[in-house]
Amino acid sequence: MGIAQTIKAFTLYEFVKAHALTLKYFFKPKATINYPYEKNPLSPRFRGEHALRRYPNGEERCIACKLCEAVCPAQAITIEAEPRDDGSRRTTRYDIDMTKCIYCGLCQEACPVDAIVEGPNLDFATETREELIYDKAKLLDNGDRWERAIAANLAADAPYR
Amino acid sequence: MTDFFNHTVGLPYGWAWFLATIVGILAIALPLMLSVAMIIYADRKIWAAMALRRGPNVVGPFGLLQSFADGLKVFLQETIVPSAANRGLFLLAPIITFTVALIVWAVVPFQPGVVLANINVGLLYVLAASSLGVYGIILAGWSSNSKYPFFSAIRAAAQMVSYEVAIGFVLISVVMWAGSFNLTTIVEAQKGLYGFINGFGFNPLLFPMSVVFLISSLAETQRAPFDLTEAESELVAGYQTEYSSMAFALYWLGEYANVLLMCTLNATLFWGGYLPPFDWAPLYVVPGIIWLFAKILFFFFVFSWIKATVPRYRYDQLMRLGWKVFLPLSLFWVFLVSGVLMFMRVGV
Amino acid sequence: MPKVKVDGVEIEVPQGATVLQACELAGKEIPRFCYHERLSIAGNCRMCLVEVKPGPPKPQASCALPAAENQEIFTNTPMVKHAREGIMEFLLINHPLDCPICDQGGECDLQDQSIAYGRGHSRFDENKRAVTEKYMGPIVKTVMTRCIQCTRCIRFAEEVAGVEEIGAIYRGENMQITSYLEEAVSSELSGNVVDLCPVGALTSKPYAFEARPWELRKTLTIDVMDAVGTNIRLDSRGRQVLRAVPRVNDDVNEEWASDKTRHAVDGLVRKRLDRPYVRRDGKLHAVTWDEAFAAIAAVEHGGSVAAVAGDLVDCETMFAAKALLKGLGSSLLEGRQTGMDYDTSSLAAVNFNTTIAGTEEADAILLVGTNLRWEAPLVNTRIRKAIKKGAKVFAIGPETELTYKVEWLGADLSVLGNLPERVTEAFGKAAKPMVIVGGAALKGAHGAALGLVETLGLVKDGWNGFNVVHMAASRMGGLMLGYAQPAGISALYDAKLTFFLGADECDHARFTGFKVYVGHHGDRGAHHADVILPGASYAEKSGTFVNLEGRVQRGERAVFPPGDAREDWTIFRALSERLGQTLPFDTIDELRAAMALDCPELATLGLKTFAWSAPALGTVAEGVLEGYPIKDFYLTNAICRASPTMQRCSAELVHGESFAEAAE
Repeated sequence: MGIAQTIKAFTLYEFVKAHALTLKYFFKPKATINYPYEKNPLSPRFRGEHALRRYPNGEERCIACKLCEAVCPAQAITIEAEPRDDGSRRTTRYDIDMTKCIYCGLCQEACPVDAIVEGPNLDFATETREELIYDKAKLLDNGDRWERAIAANLAADAPYR
Repeated sequence: MTDFFNHTVGLPYGWAWFLATIVGILAIALPLMLSVAMIIYADRKIWAAMALRRGPNVVGPFGLLQSFADGLKVFLQETIVPSAANRGLFLLAPIITFTVALIVWAVVPFQPGVVLANINVGLLYVLAASSLGVYGIILAGWSSNSKYPFFSAIRAAAQMVSYEVAIGFVLISVVMWAGSFNLTTIVEAQKGLYGFINGFGFNPLLFPMSVVFLISSLAETQRAPFDLTEAESELVAGYQTEYSSMAFALYWLGEYANVLLMCTLNATLFWGGYLPPFDWAPLYVVPGIIWLFAKILFFFFVFSWIKATVPRYRYDQLMRLGWKVFLPLSLFWVFLVSGVLMFMRVGV
Repeated sequence: MPKVKVDGVEIEVPQGATVLQACELAGKEIPRFCYHERLSIAGNCRMCLVEVKPGPPKPQASCALPAAENQEIFTNTPMVKHAREGIMEFLLINHPLDCPICDQGGECDLQDQSIAYGRGHSRFDENKRAVTEKYMGPIVKTVMTRCIQCTRCIRFAEEVAGVEEIGAIYRGENMQITSYLEEAVSSELSGNVVDLCPVGALTSKPYAFEARPWELRKTLTIDVMDAVGTNIRLDSRGRQVLRAVPRVNDDVNEEWASDKTRHAVDGLVRKRLDRPYVRRDGKLHAVTWDEAFAAIAAVEHGGSVAAVAGDLVDCETMFAAKALLKGLGSSLLEGRQTGMDYDTSSLAAVNFNTTIAGTEEADAILLVGTNLRWEAPLVNTRIRKAIKKGAKVFAIGPETELTYKVEWLGADLSVLGNLPERVTEAFGKAAKPMVIVGGAALKGAHGAALGLVETLGLVKDGWNGFNVVHMAASRMGGLMLGYAQPAGISALYDAKLTFFLGADECDHARFTGFKVYVGHHGDRGAHHADVILPGASYAEKSGTFVNLEGRVQRGERAVFPPGDAREDWTIFRALSERLGQTLPFDTIDELRAAMALDCPELATLGLKTFAWSAPALGTVAEGVLEGYPIKDFYLTNAICRASPTMQRCSAELVHGESFAEAAE
């Protein structure tokens, strides 16, 4: 043990140095945010809660092609379809089991009409599992609520597609 | 206060003494409970800040009421006693820990003359009472009838015995220097070191002992880096593993009350207790209790700071430090201090 | 046998084969849209282009080019690839990009080929063609913008279905496929154009937007709508059968299926019996299985027990009922619900001996009291094929449209004893003569028709021209299992306890005893029953069926029965325990083993030939045929009657109602 090391040991130099470091961090700006009141910025490609979009005239976009159902690796999507009164192809049922969903975003990649999208909403925790089984009404409602944000995100990402 | 009840109110002396003591106990215990709650909050905030987090900030303004929310939560929980546990001891253990953590405060001087029991062997009482604290942990570990609490209890017993030896020798140094076991006398003895500074810690001879005492008090209260009794990576939650609800809360309160006590002892034995840091008349305008609290808080910050900085010791490292470093060192210091005192007396 | 070289591999091909067939034989896949093995060659899609030497230095349409000696064919040269890519680009010029809403998506030839030969983008900047939808009846949905004018549907209607109701109008880019005057296509085989259409122009109307091919569980089974035993594949999702499509079986149905086969499946989820019922005070009350069995066990039958087999039941069910009756000391079994009492001592005398495929080879055919188009549509198509090869067809019975040229001999059965000279002359020249006796004539003219075997020389070496057409899928199996009484069903009327195995067509009111209905639909039989035991339909059990030519076939279970319903044989197994006559089989395999012991013909699958022996019956036939047994092709059984699609077909195609949609 050298002299310098002996001195260091007896003066607890390493400890003092470590404490100086933690004290420095004590006064530093914090890395975390005050979550429910502050939120970090999200990428336009962020994949959050699902939504079914509508056209500006209020017509729902989904045409029941079932590509999302087919591509879904977790098999979380269930679709049933039949001709609507006007003869167009529409879903009668569009369920997403959010507890199965792995938020991979393949459904929105598969969608030929940008109907199903994963919106920017990420805090949709519920008290029961049942509430996480989304039906068509809930998804359309999400679409209406988040349309502005979703449209902005799609527009922001459009040049890279 | 006994006089107040005896002469002003006109009670017989016995009753007056009893009432005065009850009032005194409440006057110490209730603020202590409150400060424990706030100190837990402060503890969490300090760790958080050093980890670049924010810590509790939701319950109440700045999260100030977090401890009360936690308290309410554990209070509302069910007390679960494991079926294989020794029921009586299992419930007794947290009570012992909590009680012992409180009774030591009887001899702590808050101000000149303001002390619940100004006994002349105060320091011995402190040693005796804090040694009892280990029973709460040993009983908890044994009565849980569960392996991790049991390991934890064994560790706790060995750890506390080891460091109490060192603490004992450190205290002997202090006692020799101050010439008294009475805490008030010890505090008063620190006054006017070199004529302007208050505190044995500023005495180069006793300063190393203050460091040894600080570190030993960490071990004595099972704070990081010596929190091997509740080393969660090895022992789940240590002796508390099987505890829930209020029994668990009692351990928390007792633990933090102990921490505060150790902070107080650090402040009292080495850093002037209720005296201002400098022996300068204007500083004495500030009441002694404020100085004491300021010092307690400072040492508590140091405790938290250490917890946020230093990783946990291995058990053999802990033992090595206690027996092979602190024991010889403090023993040597006893000789050293007594030698110096002898030399000084020869001079006289 | 010309020898050709396909991509350097020399093979020998049959005389008259096309280059495309030669390539197929060599294992090369040639893309095609208009070419179809069972239709005539049109050569108008140009997708099957290959390079052929010797020949002009341009790609040739392989489907229309005969393979010749020493030809060299190249299917994978850059020239071929380039040519096909060009064709694909032309085809896609006017084909809309609406695969997501197209029902053909996922099973579309154009989609598949465009993966191989599509260029990924179009150079066509002009407006795309759009065509108005055509009305083709309740089965076929049209989106004519998607049409690539392969004309398969036209050729099918003309050549196979025999109804010249689909055709092309206008020319060039304006060419449109349409049903003339936009009337519903009256063919009972119209659903096949949906399968034939290589794109999504013709899709199934009842199945519209229901499902995607990839989400369907496919089960191979046998159809029970008629006695042909069409090989079908049931496509199901979850607990519902969504569609039935034919499988290829050249011996039975080639690759066609009647509309009833295809579209009655939506009746499988309607009007179902899903729990047992017991009649108390004249009303049916839902009960547990135990209570239903208790009600049956309470009947004091004294051995007078009968079982009536319905038209749709499988052999397993009939055998289980037969075994139970045997235990109870009875053999009153009957399957001919409408009162037929023809002689069944020789099964050959009530069999379609020529076989369905053999019909094609016949050169003189006499139809006796049969409307084949409704009684066995897929036998009818075989007769069309025979006529194409030169057969002459005569018929006795009320005149009806059979989709081919028939010489009608009147409705009087007595003509059988005194056939006109032109008939005897034609049969005299015929090498392979055929007589087909239908349900209308079996009652009075079975013996007389058997008499023709001698006079017309129907049975020869390697040829048996005597045929009986049955209409119920269970009939041949039932006859093999002994479901026939000499006196017909009237022998059962006085039984104290009668089991109706999905029997809905008989006159239930004539039965005086306790009636137990074991079936799957709340139809006529259930209305009259004292106890209803819910059973499984043909899609919900693995069953053995014998078709009209004696071919034993077996189907698999596609879905599970709804609610409390059970597979029928398990019902009899459970009931037998309750009646103290526990049946000696616990699994379907054990049952089949027992059935094989009882009736060795049912032990193995495949065609069973019955040694020819004609029972001695009176050869005099008298009476005038008023009509044919099937009054409404689309509503012949309980499943059909529960099916909205069949109801609609019946209303529109049989009863001539027009629907608002038709005016679109």
